[in-house]
Amino acid sequence: MRTKLLFAGVLSAGIFAAGMAQAQNIKIGFHAPLTGFAAADGKSAVLGAQLAVEQINAKGGVNGKKLQLVIYDDQASPKNSAPIANKLISQDKVALAISGSYSGATRAAAGVFQKAKVPYIAAYAVHPSITKAGPYVFRTSFVGEVQGRAGAKLVGDILKKRRVVLITLKNDFGRSLVRGFKEKAAAYGVKIVSEYEYSIKNRQFGPIIAKVKADKPDAIYATGYFFTAGPLVRQLRAAGVKAVVIGQEGYDSQKFIKIAGKAAEGVVITTSLNRDSKRAVTLGFIKAFEKKAGYKADMVAATTHTAIYVAAAALKAAGSMDPAAIRAAIAKTTVNAATGQISFNSLGEVQKSVLVQVVRNGNWHFHSKIDDKMLLAPPTK
Amino acid sequence: MTELALLVQGLLDGSIYALIAVGLTLVYGLLRILHVAHAALFTLGGYVGVVVTNETGSFILALVAAMIVAGIAGMIIYRLVYQPILHLPPYVALIASIGLFIAMQEGFRFYDEQGVSYVNPPVQGTLELAGQTLQLAKIVTFFVAIILIGGLGLLAAKTRTGVAWRATVTMPAMAESFGINIIQVRYINFFIGSALAAVAGVMVSLTTNLVEPTSGDVWSYKALAIIVLGGLGSMRGTLIACFALGVLEAFATTTCVPLGNIQICLGEIMNRDAIAFAFLVIVLMIRPQGLFVRA
Repeated sequence: MRTKLLFAGVLSAGIFAAGMAQAQNIKIGFHAPLTGFAAADGKSAVLGAQLAVEQINAKGGVNGKKLQLVIYDDQASPKNSAPIANKLISQDKVALAISGSYSGATRAAAGVFQKAKVPYIAAYAVHPSITKAGPYVFRTSFVGEVQGRAGAKLVGDILKKRRVVLITLKNDFGRSLVRGFKEKAAAYGVKIVSEYEYSIKNRQFGPIIAKVKADKPDAIYATGYFFTAGPLVRQLRAAGVKAVVIGQEGYDSQKFIKIAGKAAEGVVITTSLNRDSKRAVTLGFIKAFEKKAGYKADMVAATTHTAIYVAAAALKAAGSMDPAAIRAAIAKTTVNAATGQISFNSLGEVQKSVLVQVVRNGNWHFHSKIDDKMLLAPPTK
Repeated sequence: MTELALLVQGLLDGSIYALIAVGLTLVYGLLRILHVAHAALFTLGGYVGVVVTNETGSFILALVAAMIVAGIAGMIIYRLVYQPILHLPPYVALIASIGLFIAMQEGFRFYDEQGVSYVNPPVQGTLELAGQTLQLAKIVTFFVAIILIGGLGLLAAKTRTGVAWRATVTMPAMAESFGINIIQVRYINFFIGSALAAVAGVMVSLTTNLVEPTSGDVWSYKALAIIVLGGLGSMRGTLIACFALGVLEAFATTTCVPLGNIQICLGEIMNRDAIAFAFLVIVLMIRPQGLFVRA
């Protein structure tokens, strides 16, 4: 009995001491799909965020305190992310939170954070409604429509292709991209010949490809993630379809090239990470990430890394743990991060240029840059 | 011309359904269990196929290894999961099966959460046929399915093992009293069904070049819809349902029907994977016993 009591005493003292140590840290909530179909992106998201935290802490942290990530697995599902948001707010008492997850999960959590007035940054979720949750919600990557508009410019103006087939992923990501694409297609002389939709679980595209082949397009604007686009592009090329394939940041992973193999050559995407960048921050990130992760950097890692740097800059500027002060600091911040010069508009949407990358010799390379401020203006309400 | 292409694609996809659904029908016919975890053996086959090909460079070896590994895994599943609960109501086995399916997915995640791909994907040729470019891998899948399932049919019809098998399916107690080892029949059943699912897993991996822990998801519930469509336990019905569904999906996901001024596109209204269930609901409304009743 006595030993048990003693043990309990030591244990509680230990917990108390640990609590004291943690009270010195600034907690940043983080949710990402660590398991489930999106686990690969979740892994990059966590590694990108951890890398940023390590780098910032190594330089002394923020205002004398260390950053500490509190990470939960949301399986990219809204039914998990909302309870996680509640836990991060009431139990972990985080200063702010970052979504390293997809649109569905991020939308569900955004409302919860807004209601509790805890600042929340979506690293790479694209759905427009996320930032509409309220002033406490920000996004460090493009809203889907903006990237879709950039896609239309890429196809019609830069690549000079006219007849386009859309192969659309039926979820928030695919649909908001295609909305933007359709909005600007005519302005760039692009004619949409036909559109096919597929679900996120699809890996077999035989029937769609048979139809695409008959459509004889100049270009294919195919929305998707590397795990859908890899098999799709591979099967398109195997069926003898030679039209150029235009993708988006969902393709942006070395894994896409690994899956699609030679078929990946010449695929062009709109994204946020420039592999041939001359900017020191981007170069430094690419190198440090590969060293930490053991594989090449991707868009997901770059944007979560960026989101942490935005959070750190805002925490430093706010100088307090007051959520309203932190929110105001994020809104005003300008950060030179891995994905570019980051600042936000009145809705909390990022303002930056779109980078176009192309696959050459089994690697992503610089293709062009879209800087048109009118075209890329994010929504303000 | 496009119609022909869609028909061909539908039949090719149907042959993959067939490879998976045959094992499921066998298990249902013998034990009256809806073996949801069957699709995990499809995934297991895919993993073994990719890993062995990458390690040894031999695709044939990988295919055989996948069949053996999945076949043995199927027998182990029967012995450890189903046999102890056979005397309980059928839903117990169903719940166990769903649990096992999830557990196996998590097991694959331990091995490689991001999924595996071929370093040098085998069987990547194409075939020009009547103005269409077809993937060799898909043609091979089709003929492999026909040969294996046809062979299985011959085995069941002509050999002693086949007779014992069919006897066990129709009247287990009577079969046992005639000296048939029904436990052995069940093991063979699980081995063959699982090995066929593994073949499907390997063949699909050739066209996608990606095997993920969740690769079996779609196939698991779709195969269940197929065997219900086929009349639960009827092999002929199951096979017809497989090819019918493949063709139906091919047309439904890509074709729009004009209705007055508007175009009705089924592919926009529902997912490709939902079509099987819509088809199932309609068939069950008209023919509650399924397309084909067990003879």
